[in-house]
Amino acid sequence: MENIDQVNTLQRKARCRGIYRRRQSSWSQQATSQQQQDRESLRSDAHVDIQARYAPYALPSCHRRGNFQEQDETPVNKQKPPERRMERNRQDETLGSWFKIRVPFGIKYDEKWLLNLIHKQCSVPFTPVEFHYEKMEAQFFVQNANIASALKNVNGKIYNEANERISIFVDPCDAPHSVLKELRSEKVEQIKLPVKERYDASQQSRDIQGVRSDPGMATAAIVEQLLALDLSDKKPYQLHGLSNTMPNASNTKNWNLSNTEVKSAGEMDKGERLEPEGMCAERNPLCTTFPDKSTNISSILELFPKLLTLDDQETSPQAKCGIEACKRLPTCKGSYFGSDEVKSQVLQFLTLYYLIHDYGDRQVLAGAYHEEACFSLTIPFHPEDPAPSSLCEYFKDSRNMKKLKDPHLRVQLLKHTKRVIVHTLCGLPKTQHDLSSFVVDIWFQTETMFCFSVSGVFKEVEGSCQGCVRAFTRTFITTLTRYCSLCIMNDELFVRDANPSETQSVFCIPVPTPTSSSMHTLSQQQQDIMQASSTPSEMNL
Amino acid sequence: MGDKPVWEQTGSSFIQHYYQLFDNDRTQPGASYIDATCLTWEGQQFQGKAATVEKLSSLLFQKIQDSITAQDHQPRPDSCIISMVVDQFKADEDPVMGFHQMLPLKNINDAWVCTNDMFRLALHNFADLLPPLPDTIHTPPDAPNIIHK
Repeated sequence: MENIDQVNTLQRKARCRGIYRRRQSSWSQQATSQQQQDRESLRSDAHVDIQARYAPYALPSCHRRGNFQEQDETPVNKQKPPERRMERNRQDETLGSWFKIRVPFGIKYDEKWLLNLIHKQCSVPFTPVEFHYEKMEAQFFVQNANIASALKNVNGKIYNEANERISIFVDPCDAPHSVLKELRSEKVEQIKLPVKERYDASQQSRDIQGVRSDPGMATAAIVEQLLALDLSDKKPYQLHGLSNTMPNASNTKNWNLSNTEVKSAGEMDKGERLEPEGMCAERNPLCTTFPDKSTNISSILELFPKLLTLDDQETSPQAKCGIEACKRLPTCKGSYFGSDEVKSQVLQFLTLYYLIHDYGDRQVLAGAYHEEACFSLTIPFHPEDPAPSSLCEYFKDSRNMKKLKDPHLRVQLLKHTKRVIVHTLCGLPKTQHDLSSFVVDIWFQTETMFCFSVSGVFKEVEGSCQGCVRAFTRTFITTLTRYCSLCIMNDELFVRDANPSETQSVFCIPVPTPTSSSMHTLSQQQQDIMQASSTPSEMNL
Repeated sequence: MGDKPVWEQTGSSFIQHYYQLFDNDRTQPGASYIDATCLTWEGQQFQGKAATVEKLSSLLFQKIQDSITAQDHQPRPDSCIISMVVDQFKADEDPVMGFHQMLPLKNINDAWVCTNDMFRLALHNFADLLPPLPDTIHTPPDAPNIIHK
């Protein structure tokens, strides 16, 4: 058992390392490309918000080129036909060397008037792409470093009718969304082609058998190709239909949502399962429109009605339990957060944690745990029920003191260190938590520590108990890192079967899947939760 | 018990004693609280020992029986212990209910006290799944006097 576990662990680690290696190589490619040199020459004078561009979990555009390049390295009999390589080259050119031109307070100026003014002063002709107004600025895109440089030189040389100087700022950026959209549909066709070929090539029986035996293989291939979707600087309407274009994008790992205009949660593509593993939503207007984080969370949490509507509202236990005449029992209140700031922080943490837990690689959760963290799992003990429980998948890790008498086994089942914890989490069934069912209690907090419990339900989504609904209560004891994110010191999980009547109600509230475009996650928080470094603990076990 | 780590011994003993006291007289566990204790009871918070005891006293049932179905204890980095209990109880003639309770413990002046108390009913009722409660009130074996008086 241990050897298999070790092999599985090594395989998972190798996969993770592979992902990180590709990311690192792609950054080094970017650093040496001519494109990077072009950008560097402009960056010194341009008003560049590098922080906004930094998206650690979104693969940069050159990685997409890397993917195509990797395909070129495949054996000859599997290489793409020449016309597809030409298409790919065109895509490479289209994706590269884009610059955003910003005119502060440009909202005052008519588009045609402003562009004419710039044309007159610019030493080279240019074609503005996607001219639009964003907040107080007029913005458009150009493709070509020379054009961008020429436009930069226009800065301060044009004046409005009031003889006020008009500034122009130039920022390197990724291809605008309309360009991406066009390329995306082409990409999907390219990706679908290998799958179609598999089905058409009936003589390639092995391929067909492979697809039939692993229906997810085709999906996985599509998803892997679409791994790096950069939606930065996109209008919300452009995200509609995205899931239709990529029906199997549910495992898409990296989304860069920075600067995505999200006027309200309702504008985003609801109801589609686009679950990113890594997200970067810095400067998302949804974040910056509201005065504080808690309001942001409130807006997002309108998507999770139970978390909000139960706050400070009483719900009778009878309604929940279906038990009559429980007059002596306390009435059930909703989540207790203490303060809006704490609420915001904890809910962000929980949302991100369960996003990754359910839809991502649980290995990534290692970043959320302290090096010396503890985790234990408990299921109920029924001494008079010898029949195998449907919770059998959890039984081997259950550390219920009520039942477990062997002291050595007790110690073993207290998972210590994040490496061991994550290994354990990866071995638990794949789940889908119903965030709308969550009830959160923040029962202790200091300036450096948050202790909270979350109760709710989840569904197992694979294995022998697929479809089974469980109820859980999980307690986290966390400390604040120097990045003001939460680092888990203790994690105690209790899992039980949900009542049959509750099973029917789970996932019934029509909220969008808590992911992607409707989510607000600070890239810094995400980075911290993944890479929460820890100083060696002084805890002595 | 000699083979158990200290947090397990302490946590198990505390829980046994706590529920024994609670079943007999629900104000008695107040002795294990400190002035800084906060009770989070079904989404309401009560700060301080007095408020906590008052809340427990205000519960309307006369008699309670309980049976622990799960408990677990972990050491915390600050030398405290976090104890988790899942319990089924029967208050007076009401149907059996389950609840979940978190009791962080801290050693103050060589006595273990409860610094917080979090209580949540198990609204996903598993009463139908559990065996019936024993007729007698739960009486644990003798536990060391670890409660701070």
